[in-house]
Amino acid sequence: MNAPNSEQIRALIARGKLKDTAFQAIGICCLALGLLVIFLLVGDMLLRGLSRLNLDFFTQFASRRAGQAGILAAWVGSLLVMLVTAFAAVPLGVAAGIYLEEYARRNWVTDIIEINITNLAAVPSIVYGLLALGIFVYAFGFGQSILSAGLTLALLILPIVIVATREAIRAIPAMIREGSMAVGATRWQTCRYHIVPYAMPGILTGVIIGLARAIGETAPIITIGALTFIAFLPPLPFAATGAEGATAGLFDWVMSPFTVMPIQIFNWTSRPDPAFEVNAAAAGFVLMGMVLAMNGLAIWLRYRMRKNIKW
Amino acid sequence: MNHAMPTNDQAALKAEARSLSFFYGEVQALKNINMPIHDKKVTALIGPSGCGKSTYLRSFNRMHDLYPGNRYEGEIRFFPDNTNLLSPDVDPIEVRMRIGMVFQKPNPFPKSIYENVAYGLRVRGERNRRVLDDKVEQALRDAAIWNEVKDRLQDLAPNLSGGQQQRLCIARALATDPELLLFDEPTSALDPIATGAIEELVHELKKRVTILIVTHNMQQAARVSDYTAYMYLGEMIEFGKTDEIFIKPNDKRTEDYITGRMG
Amino acid sequence: MQESQHHVSSQFDEELSRLRTHVLQMGGLVETQVLAAIDAYANGEVGGIKAIVDGDRRINELEKSIDDDCAHVIAKRQPTASDLRLVLGIGKIVTDLERSGDLAKKIAKGVRRIHGNGHPPGQFGVGIRHLAEAALNLVRQALDAFARLDTAAARQVIALDDEIDVEFKSIIRQLITHMMEDPRTITTAIDIITIARAIERIGDHAKNVSEQVIYIVEGRDIRYARSIKETAP
Repeated sequence: MNAPNSEQIRALIARGKLKDTAFQAIGICCLALGLLVIFLLVGDMLLRGLSRLNLDFFTQFASRRAGQAGILAAWVGSLLVMLVTAFAAVPLGVAAGIYLEEYARRNWVTDIIEINITNLAAVPSIVYGLLALGIFVYAFGFGQSILSAGLTLALLILPIVIVATREAIRAIPAMIREGSMAVGATRWQTCRYHIVPYAMPGILTGVIIGLARAIGETAPIITIGALTFIAFLPPLPFAATGAEGATAGLFDWVMSPFTVMPIQIFNWTSRPDPAFEVNAAAAGFVLMGMVLAMNGLAIWLRYRMRKNIKW
Repeated sequence: MNHAMPTNDQAALKAEARSLSFFYGEVQALKNINMPIHDKKVTALIGPSGCGKSTYLRSFNRMHDLYPGNRYEGEIRFFPDNTNLLSPDVDPIEVRMRIGMVFQKPNPFPKSIYENVAYGLRVRGERNRRVLDDKVEQALRDAAIWNEVKDRLQDLAPNLSGGQQQRLCIARALATDPELLLFDEPTSALDPIATGAIEELVHELKKRVTILIVTHNMQQAARVSDYTAYMYLGEMIEFGKTDEIFIKPNDKRTEDYITGRMG
Repeated sequence: MQESQHHVSSQFDEELSRLRTHVLQMGGLVETQVLAAIDAYANGEVGGIKAIVDGDRRINELEKSIDDDCAHVIAKRQPTASDLRLVLGIGKIVTDLERSGDLAKKIAKGVRRIHGNGHPPGQFGVGIRHLAEAALNLVRQALDAFARLDTAAARQVIALDDEIDVEFKSIIRQLITHMMEDPRTITTAIDIITIARAIERIGDHAKNVSEQVIYIVEGRDIRYARSIKETAP
């Protein structure tokens, strides 16, 4: 076979590059389609809800009159529920992830646990709601409180946190672990000084993505019985209560009834008065903003923390 | 087989492998190895890839215990106290506190230079800032890197050059005064100048610590070691003084390997 | 030394074998030179002497070039064990060969002086010739031992060299007697002693070559051994 001359080589390359170009075009189209849909959705919400997006909207409780209704109770509720969720899910999930990666011996038990954790992530959220209704609301007597909601959502995102933790730990090179063990460190010292700090960016990303999912969850919250109309905030710690001279405890707020953003939106969209739809759109936009902000935070944190971690 | 060959000088032993075998699950990676490690000397392990030299090295600080399914047979006696390093009664952590290790690829922790060296001391519960400062400085000096890093101890270790990283890792191992230092192909990721610096360092270090070094570079073994062991397919083929091994090996297989007649 | 296996680098194999070929080539030249010088002595043919003197230059060139090749092999290949001993041994062997070449030249010049003076060696011709053949034989055997890396042959050379030394001493004794009997022969006798001395030295160099062969093969340095027993394997 003769070596091809440069003409032939060029023809060959041109043919190959044609496919490159074709795929590039298709890829851009797909991407553009996806972005377009999101852009239209957000844009539509923004346009319809723009008239209600002002400070009052954030500082007013819900009202029977659309023009005066606000999302104060909802966004405070959402934030507090997320706080509980994070405080419950992070220690549990991170500890479980570390145990599974660093301590547990590989055998059929850990294999089963592993498969189950992956599957848990795929369980419909309503099932968690039912579970929580039985356990937290009734069995534990937490009632229809922020605590119940937070723990429910914590359960929901626990698999995500565990998987994120394990992935982050697995990304740490074996030689770092060996380097630590080689100077005589115990497993716990290795985890404390190395594994957890180095996995932290990945873990945080997982947690925030989990929380971003949780903040939009409606079904389990409805199941455990969040209020749809509420005109007060949970008690601040040490705030004066109605009773003479009494103040709220540090953690009284967790037992308070509450509502959250998705429920508020759901409530408004089911009203006959079309004015409420404007409210719903505005609240939807705010919720979207909260999710985006959390994702942004995740990206920023990951970037900041990873800057100092390299092998 | 020459591995039982007595050596002329009666230098004290730091360790001795006796009928050591090692298994990765069902696979036998080391076969009945007998070998002395002379005190305050450099012993080099050479042999083709997969001959078990790293496996052997990692038996000394029980690194294999980190992974399931590994099994030792025989013993490694550690002197002067005649401990069997491989005994199930001996905690691997105790072993690693006495035996330091430097890895193939420099593996500094993504922390400051100072924290990297102080780590071994922190693990041992040292909190006194002054003690830490002193020991960190001494270890960095011993590892011949102090002058390069003394003004930036708080910088991140992974920002150092490869050769500096490896010397930092040596400092990390030295900070806790190990009795035996294991080097697992410490220069395979380094350029010739950095390699030369590490070799020079090994030469200095043997005044105070016994060194066992795995190298795939025969010339390096010839340059830095006092004793050399040739391993092949999990067996110790020949052990002897480096000079003798490199000028007049006794075993045909050693000869073929060091003269480049393998394969 | 077994040579069953080749180096992973065939280039290295080639370099070593080229080195050995050059040594043998040089050895062949030395042999020829010595033979020619002895022939000139025996036959009184002064005509070939210029060729011998010129031929020595070729030997010197070869020595330089082989030394250079040795340096290259060391620098490029960092030879170890038998390879290292081969290169080191060759470095020494070529020195001995070059000296032998010089000695051949020295013999040739001595022959020219003797015949130029018009005093042919006469009765001493036979003894010298015998000595020379023995020495030449040693050179051949030593080169053979090197070519085949045959330590038995090498040891034989070392043993035979002792015989040459004995024969040399007997020739000297004869010459001394002769000079005392007839002082007019002194000039010629001194030239003959020079020649005999050169021949004996050639034997010594052949012995040195053999010692290097033993070093190359066995890694044992047997130089300056006091008796042949000390050189036994």
